[in-house]
Amino acid sequence: MTDELLVVRAQLGERAALAELVLRWRTPVWTYVRRMLDAERADDVAQEIWLAVVRGLPRLREPDRFAPWLFTIARRSITDRLRAEYAEAEAFADVAAVSDDPAEATVERAELTAGLSALPVLEREVLVLFYLEDLSVEECAQVCRVPAGTIKSRLSRARRLLREQLTEKGWQP
Amino acid sequence: MAAMTEEPRRPARMVFERLGPVLSPWARIRAVAAALAGLAGTVFVAALWWSEPGPLPGRTHAAFAVFTVFCLAWAGYGGWTLTRRVPLFATDRVIAGWLAVAASTATAVLVTVVAVQRGSGLLPAVGVSVVFVGAAVVLVVRAHARRAALLRRKRRLTGEEGR
Repeated sequence: MTDELLVVRAQLGERAALAELVLRWRTPVWTYVRRMLDAERADDVAQEIWLAVVRGLPRLREPDRFAPWLFTIARRSITDRLRAEYAEAEAFADVAAVSDDPAEATVERAELTAGLSALPVLEREVLVLFYLEDLSVEECAQVCRVPAGTIKSRLSRARRLLREQLTEKGWQP
Repeated sequence: MAAMTEEPRRPARMVFERLGPVLSPWARIRAVAAALAGLAGTVFVAALWWSEPGPLPGRTHAAFAVFTVFCLAWAGYGGWTLTRRVPLFATDRVIAGWLAVAASTATAVLVTVVAVQRGSGLLPAVGVSVVFVGAAVVLVVRAHARRAALLRRKRRLTGEEGR
């Protein structure tokens, strides 16, 4: 069943469709949040996101655009949490350190993670949305509320920074 | 990447269960009841105040004002809950719309009867009643149209998936 059909059924008030939507998107949402915050806060923020999704779902006018709408809400929740905890500038500098997990630095995948978590938050975010969540450039632009050209330049810069990070750690492509 | 090797710690069932208070039918019923009772009360008290024959003492004016503000506060609380705190899905909107029609019609009849018995303020009472009932009818028509559009879309999508 497509997301669009699930959203329409949920908007009609079918509880089972809403539960299926939560089940289907729980991990992608959590993954995105986890890339921006530590595990403890990721659970709470993911729950806040689902609360906002349920409250806003009846007003979603384009059920076929569920994924970008969902990640827009997720992004807003993460930003609100960061703003509440730090001054904005400090937050963007600090989240990288928060997501670092030295225990994971032993396998190649974890090295990628370490490189990713060391990126500035804007570049990390766009990598996560584009590569992990499979959103298109246009959808990333909608979620981040910036032009598509900005997303492309952020992606390019993010790839370069990630490559530098991984090369510094001795990773060979 | 790290989160690809990690999993959410809360199972989906727990995530959904924590949404229970927001999705509870009672939360929606309470919100609709607060909004409708507040609005109906405001219209009724305001109509009584307006159609009161003869000059009123200051304390009576104050009492009417306090009642009106009290009812408005409930209407505001109900409206805020319905728009910000509790999701009203398409079917809920249809039910809420018909409740609004019933409540506004009952209030309109009551206000008009009171105005006729008192022999004053009939025109304003009828005017307010028409606006109140009219707004409720608009809400219920829009709710039906929205639900019908979603049902059409659901049928189309179900048909496409069945092919």
